[in-house]
Parts: sequence; structure tokens; C-alpha cells
Amino acid sequence: MAALNARGGQNLFKGWDRFDYLIPVVALALVLFGLILIHSGSSRVYEGPLLSFANPVTKQAVFAVIGVGLMVGFARLDYHYLTHYSWLFYAVGIFALIAILAFGHTAFGSTRWFNVGPIQIQPSEFAKLAVILMLANYFSEHGGDARELRSLLMSLAIVVPPLLLVFIQPDLGTSVMFGSVWLGVVLIAGVNRRHIMIIAAGSIALFPFVWTFAVADYQIERIGVLIDPQSDPLDAGYNVIQSQNAVGSGGLFGKGFMQGEQTQLNFLKVPTKDFIFSVLGEEFGFSGAMVMFALFILLLWRGVRAAQLAGDVAGQLVAAGIVILILMQAFINIAVNVSLFPVTGIPLPFVSQGGSSLVTVFISLGILESIIMRHRAYRQF
Amino acid sequence: MSSNQRWGGPMTPARNRPRGNLGWLKVAVLVMFAVLAAQLFRMQIVDGAEYAQRAEENHITQQTTLAARGTIVDRNGEPLVENTPAYAATIVPDLLPSNPDKRRAIYLELERITGTPALEIASRVSAQEADGRGFIEISVALHLTLEQALKLSEASTDMPGVRLDVSPGRYYPAGIEFAHILGFIGDQTAEEYAVLRGQGYALDEPVGKAGIEAAYESELRGQRGIVQAEQNAQGDLIRALGSREPVPGNGVRLAIDAGLQRYIYELLETNLKGDATNPDAKVAAAVVMDAQSGKLLALVSYPGYDNNVFPVTADKEAEYKALLDDPRKPLLNQALTPSAPGSTFKLVTSSAALQNGTLTPDVSRTINSTILEIKGDNGQIYPFYDWRAHGTINLYDAIAWSSNIYMYMASCGIPGEYRGLGKDDETSGAILGYYARQFGFGAPTGIDIGGDAAGVVPSPEWKARVHANDNPEDRLWYYADTCFMGIGQGDVLATPLQVARMTAAVANGGKLLTPKVADAIIDGDGSVVRTIEPEWTLVDVSDKNLAAVREGMHRSVIYGAGLKASQPGVDIAGKTGTAEFFTEDGKFQHAWFTGYAPFDNPRIVVTVYFDFGIGGEKAAPLAGQIFQYMWEEGLSDGSP
Repeated sequence: MAALNARGGQNLFKGWDRFDYLIPVVALALVLFGLILIHSGSSRVYEGPLLSFANPVTKQAVFAVIGVGLMVGFARLDYHYLTHYSWLFYAVGIFALIAILAFGHTAFGSTRWFNVGPIQIQPSEFAKLAVILMLANYFSEHGGDARELRSLLMSLAIVVPPLLLVFIQPDLGTSVMFGSVWLGVVLIAGVNRRHIMIIAAGSIALFPFVWTFAVADYQIERIGVLIDPQSDPLDAGYNVIQSQNAVGSGGLFGKGFMQGEQTQLNFLKVPTKDFIFSVLGEEFGFSGAMVMFALFILLLWRGVRAAQLAGDVAGQLVAAGIVILILMQAFINIAVNVSLFPVTGIPLPFVSQGGSSLVTVFISLGILESIIMRHRAYRQF
Repeated sequence: MSSNQRWGGPMTPARNRPRGNLGWLKVAVLVMFAVLAAQLFRMQIVDGAEYAQRAEENHITQQTTLAARGTIVDRNGEPLVENTPAYAATIVPDLLPSNPDKRRAIYLELERITGTPALEIASRVSAQEADGRGFIEISVALHLTLEQALKLSEASTDMPGVRLDVSPGRYYPAGIEFAHILGFIGDQTAEEYAVLRGQGYALDEPVGKAGIEAAYESELRGQRGIVQAEQNAQGDLIRALGSREPVPGNGVRLAIDAGLQRYIYELLETNLKGDATNPDAKVAAAVVMDAQSGKLLALVSYPGYDNNVFPVTADKEAEYKALLDDPRKPLLNQALTPSAPGSTFKLVTSSAALQNGTLTPDVSRTINSTILEIKGDNGQIYPFYDWRAHGTINLYDAIAWSSNIYMYMASCGIPGEYRGLGKDDETSGAILGYYARQFGFGAPTGIDIGGDAAGVVPSPEWKARVHANDNPEDRLWYYADTCFMGIGQGDVLATPLQVARMTAAVANGGKLLTPKVADAIIDGDGSVVRTIEPEWTLVDVSDKNLAAVREGMHRSVIYGAGLKASQPGVDIAGKTGTAEFFTEDGKFQHAWFTGYAPFDNPRIVVTVYFDFGIGGEKAAPLAGQIFQYMWEEGLSDGSP
């Protein structure tokens, strides 16, 4: 089956042997978990037939299938194509983020997606991947690390535009996501500690101005109600209180599938998306949550393994960026549900209802596989 | 490896060997999930029960129906209270029309009907709406009259969001003679609700505030009916979970005889209004007690008041203010208010001296002057007065004629001649105080309706304590302190109820009874659920010694100071009291009489008190009339 590559050399690629099957298995286990919770969370709203695109469960399953397909496709594709053309993805992402401010659909006081027929597209999901690719490519092309101040500042210049664009949507959670991904990637890329200190000090100095002029009132309010949800129990504090009641009342083993009153009687808002973890907490309890945590940790472990195996800087940074992206999304989403973080619309990867998010994380997994499958081919000595 | 081993991938100028340290990324993964797991553990395992409770309250809604409050009847079953509806005007802001002009019209109409200013209604509605609680009903006018309620009920059909709310209220038809006994009900205060909610009270539930209504609240209240349902976040009822019918409260049957109560009240009122010799007399009290059980057949405080004044609404404010401004203090129960007991206290002094062994009934003293002169330590002569020169008398006649000087000799003694109760002034005072307390003075009686004062029993320690901030010499216990206490003057204060209770203990051979207004708890049919059992402690005085005191009391009514209490056909024993007290305008006297009948088989104790007058002249005849009435009406047996 030996084929010739572009330059006529013999194709020694044996990638599929190295394909990490554990990654899609764990990811699909999380998706299955999500389908169960979406079913429970949507049963009061959706009462139509099971197999209909209007059923959020079916819709999510369809996106999972698409996601797996795309994962295989991206696994097959050399990730260097992606890093090489990352500037293009990046430009499209920035353009989309600008466009959404002008034409996007507004919900819950924030403009985050386009309606394309029955499908909503949330460009910030794809922009996160584009930024990871862009950063990896930049460091790879410029000495392979972030030791130089110039490299570090350039990387900052890459991440700041999308960060600001989602910040003014306003979407605090996604901004935090861009910031974390950048910080994680430059740390892996061997940043000079002193530089980080200077940037950290600068950020702290800027913080009051950001707080005063840039943070939307609703965000300050959400931070306030996190500290004291009863201060505004029917308005901003509502989601915090209801998620606390749901999660807390779940106890060790939960109230059982479809048995959570907080979920079933509509006390929880967006129970299939931002607050899907509260449904898990209420109906499957602490033990159910631990199972989910184990799945996430296993998946992320495989992601770190991919970064360790990666044959070159670009691969390693892309893999690490993806791990950080999934980790931070999961962490912030769950932290919101257990009242450790102000309410912000970050989906729980693989679990929350939402096509853009699901497709993007599966594409990310495909890129991870691509890196694993090619690590020998690109090993640098 | 050479470059031709590369598969796919566009040409890039340089590939660098990866050198990132990924260990910390693993650490970050573990730490972050550990933080989440710890918080989950705290919420679900440590505080899980509390959240479960909150989630429960979140979706379970209760609608309650208040139970009919139990009735209160006299010993013959005459109803003393009625349940009537209480009307209130309420508004649900969310149901009001959104047009501001229409709203204003509604507020003005409500002002016209209820008197609550339209501006006040408007501001309360908008405050409620600003809180985002526009779906919650607010009361804009409470305790409407029947006329207002009818108008509102008619008008509310044209006023969306406005409703006539009907809740249980209380009407007291029995008359002003019963106000202090029955008390009244009212809305809970915030402090009361903080306690009562633990007993399952709703905020809108009226609660007994005084008298029987408060004392037997737990019996009278009954059990609320509850309909429990599951509701969703929008407030729609999903399914009924269960219901409980309201259980009406039990009734209270009083030991009070309504006829007797009214008779005594009228007697006191007629006497006060027709007494030209005592124009200052304004208030009075009378206690009629079963001498064996402590059940009260009458507990009269004059003047009474109409307890329908509560709850004090706008239309009753003038009436209530008049009650507060009345110098006679009608809201105060005179039977439970202390004043100097005067010579009625000699029963205690006599019992103390006999039990103390410092006196026998046959000890005679010769009292040939109305002034006893005592030379003080400073050489000054102090005069101690009696009301007449009694001649040579023993204890029986000292009680019968109410001799002050005999009682001085028995309590404080005469320096150099007769020893008092103790070896010195302080000991004498302490011994007398001990017996006073034995007879229930200086402490609340424990009457079931509560609200009674403790009075005062002075003692050397008591004097040192209350005068702690005065001159040092005012803190000392003097000879005269014991003497004055011995005749119920000086610092002693007692309520008519305490005097009646003491009298009953003398009469029944030493049982100090706890007075009870209530006789039994009854159900809706009037049958007895539970009888209120008599309670007592024993007084540390032998029946033999009490018998000597009783003999003195008997003689008092037969030929002594209490002669005017005597009645044909009733064998009464008693003691008069004329307690001196001083005001800015000079010296005045309280009039007392306390007695029991029949002499040889004590059943009934009667105590009468007037704020002004001479005991034997003003109080004794009335006590006699009360006994007479009771014997005529077949109430001589005491217990129903």
C-alpha cells in the first residue's frame, strides 16, 4: 500500500496504527452522558417524536456523528496544513467575530451566533481553534519558543483582537478562555518568567480601568450574586440559587434519571446548555459527577500524552492548546454550576447541547490524533 | 530521518525539537478537578440536606384555611365570645390594569371606601412591583367594617386586582365586665411571628394577645387546613400532594359565673357612683374564689372596657385613646394590681407569731391608749397609733377589732417589754417576710391568664437592695419597718388576688392554691376534653394555728370591725383592711375586706378592694352582699 508523497518519496506513514482509540471512546462516552442529560433537561419543553431534528437529543446525536466524521477527516489531514494556513482561519475568525457584532442574533443580552437556516453558528468556537493554530505556528516559525520578548508580544498581538471582540459581545467566559489558552501555550513554549511577571503586573494595573469602562453591568451583577445570591433572588441571583438547590439537593446518588424536581419543574434555566451539569448533579448526584470527572481526566490525560509525543514544536503547542481549551471550558462551566465562578455562557465540552461546540471539540480531537499519528514522522532530534 | 520520510505536510523552513514541560499541565488538570470535586462534596454531601430542604420548599406550595377558633363560655355555658369574619382590602399589583389612569381611578375608589389614602396605595403597589414581587397580594386596608366590606365587595367586580379578603375575627358580646378575663386577639408582631412560625403559624393567622385568648391560645387555635401541591417555576400547580381539613379549636369553659361577675361589677359601680363620703374612690376590684380549688367564680376590675376596641383600627382610635387617657387606667386589671394590703395582712402576722411560738391566742395585752410611744435609740419618742383604745384583748379580739398595737407587739415587740418575732429587729422582719411569702405574697400567683404583679414583701436584704443608691441610713432595717409591715403598711404591697389566695389558705387549713379562671377545656359539643386540675402548695403554718386566726375572723364579722359584712343565713368570717397611703394631697386610705363562708366549712372566699375608703364601712358591706347573692343564687357550693 505504499504510496508516494508529494516529493515522490515513499510514504512510510503508518498513522492509523498509532491512532489513539481511547480518545474517541471517552469522548463518545461523554456525549452519551450529555444525551441522557439533554433528554432529561428538555423533556418538559420537547414532547415530540424521538427521531426528529426538532428533538434536541436527536439533533445533538446528529452533530456527534458529524463531529466524529470530521474528527476522522482531520486525523487524516497533516496538522501542518492547518498551522501553515492558520493565518487564513484566523482572518476568517476575526472577520466572523466582527460580522456577528453587526448581524448576529442576540440572546440573554449577548450577541454570540448567526442563524443559518435551522442551524446556529457560533464563530467564537472556531476562533478559539484558529488562535491555537496561529500561536503554534508563530512560535514554530520563530525560533520554536517564547523566550524572546518580541515573540511574546507578537503572540499577545495574536490573541488580543479576538479576545476583545468576544469581550464586547459581551462574553466574559470566552474572553477568559482566550486568555487561558494564550497563557498555557506561552508557558509550554518556554516563556521567560520575568516577561510573564511584567505582563501580569501590567494587567493588574489595567484591571480597574477595565472594570470601570469595559465590564458590562450584568457581569458585575453576576459576580455580586455569586457572593450573595439572596441579594437579588428573583433576578440575577435566580440561576445561581436554582443551580445551588439542584446540585446540592442531589446528594450522594442523586434523585434518579428524570426525577429532579429542580430540572423537571423548570426551575433551572438552560438546563441542556450552560446548566446541564446541575441536571447531572441533581439527578445523578456526587457519584455521577465523579464518573464524569473521571472521563474528563482520562480524555485530558490522553491529550497531554499527545502533546508529549508530538514530533515538533507546532504539534506540541497545538496539542497543549487543545488540552487547555477543553480543560478550561469544562472547569469554568462546572465552576459556574457549583457557584465558584460568575454565571457565564461557556458550554460543557461534549456534554452541553450545541452543534458548534460539539463539532469544534471533535475537530480538536481529530487534530490531536493527527499529531499522535505523525509524531514519529516529524520527530526532531 | 531524512526529509523524504515526511508524509503530507507543506514545506516549512524549520522544525524545532519540542521542549515544553507538560508535567504541570497534568497537575493543572488534577488540581482543577480536585477543586470542583471538593466544592461538590461540600454542597452535596456536607450541606446536601439543607439544599434538599430548599429545593423541596421551592416546588411545594401550601394553601391554608384557618380553623374556627374555639369558643369561651362561662361555668353555665353562656358564650362570652363569637367568631366573626374580619374583612380586609387586598391588591395583586400584577392583576391591576396597566393604564395609569385606570389605576388611579381604582386607588381613588379604594380611598373612598376604606379611607386608606390613594397615594399610599399607589406607592405600596409600585414598591412591590419594583421588587419584582407584583404577583404577591398586599393588604391595603385591614379590619374593615361590615358596611365597608359590603361596599368593597360590590365595587371590586369593576376593579381587577382588588379583592375583599375574609379571615376569622372575634367579637366579644358578653360586656365590659369580662374584658380583662377574656383578653383579645390580634395580628402577630414581627417578634411574635419569629417564635410562632416554629409552631406552624402563618403570618396572617391572628393570635391571642391577652387574657384567656392568650393563655389558652394552643387550645383555642385549632389546626389549619392545608392543601399541598407541587408547582413549577411559573407557579402552575402540577399535581395535588395531599390535603388536611381544618380542625376547629377546643373551647374553654371558665369557672367564672357570668351572672355573678355582672352583679359584682354593677355593685361596685353603683357603690362608687353613689358614695358621697368617698368622692375620690374611682377604681375597685373583687375576687371570688373557691376556697378548696382556687377556681375563680368572679374576677372583677372596675372600670372595665370594651375589648372589641381591639384591633385598634382607624375608626376605633379615638375610643382607644380615651382608654389610654382615662386616669382610672381601665386597661389595667385592678384585681392583679398591687397596693398596701393594710389590716388584711394581720392574718399573716397572727399566723406568723403563732407558728413562731412567740404568741398564743390567749395572750392578752392591755391597750388603753390609741398611741403607743416608743423611745428610739436617739432618745426621741416615736408615736405608734391605733384606731381606738381596745382595752385588754387577746389575739381573737385583736383580729376581730383589728388592733394595730396588738400586732406591733406580736411582730416587732416593744423594746424592754415584749419580744417580737425574732431576737432583734432584723430577725423579726425576716421571720415576718418568710411567712408573708409562705402565704403567696411577693410573687405572682400563677393565675392562668397571667399578667399579675408580684407585689412586695420587704425584708432587710430587700431594703438594702432597693435603697442601694440612697443614703446609708435608708438602707437599714429599723424597728418600725417590722411594725408597719405587721399591719400591712410600710413597704408591703399585695394584689386583691394575692389577698384572696391568702384568705383561702387560712380558711382551708393551709393549701396555697393557684388561682384558675378556666375550669375545663371543652370540645365543640360542650363536653369536657380535660378538666383544669387545682394546684397548690402547703403553707408552713399548722391548722391549729390557722384555726385561731379563723376564730378571730369569725368574731370580726359577728361583732368586730367586719360587722357590716354579716348577712342573715350566711356564716361569714372575714377581715377588714384600711390601708393608709400618702399622696401629694395628703393622707388617704384603701378599703379592703377579705373573708370566707361558711365559717365551719369554707367554700367561698370573697375579697373586695376600693382605692379609697374605710374597709369596714365601704368594702365589708359589699362583700356581705356578694355572699348573700351567691347563697341566693345557689353558688355557695363553689365548684360547678
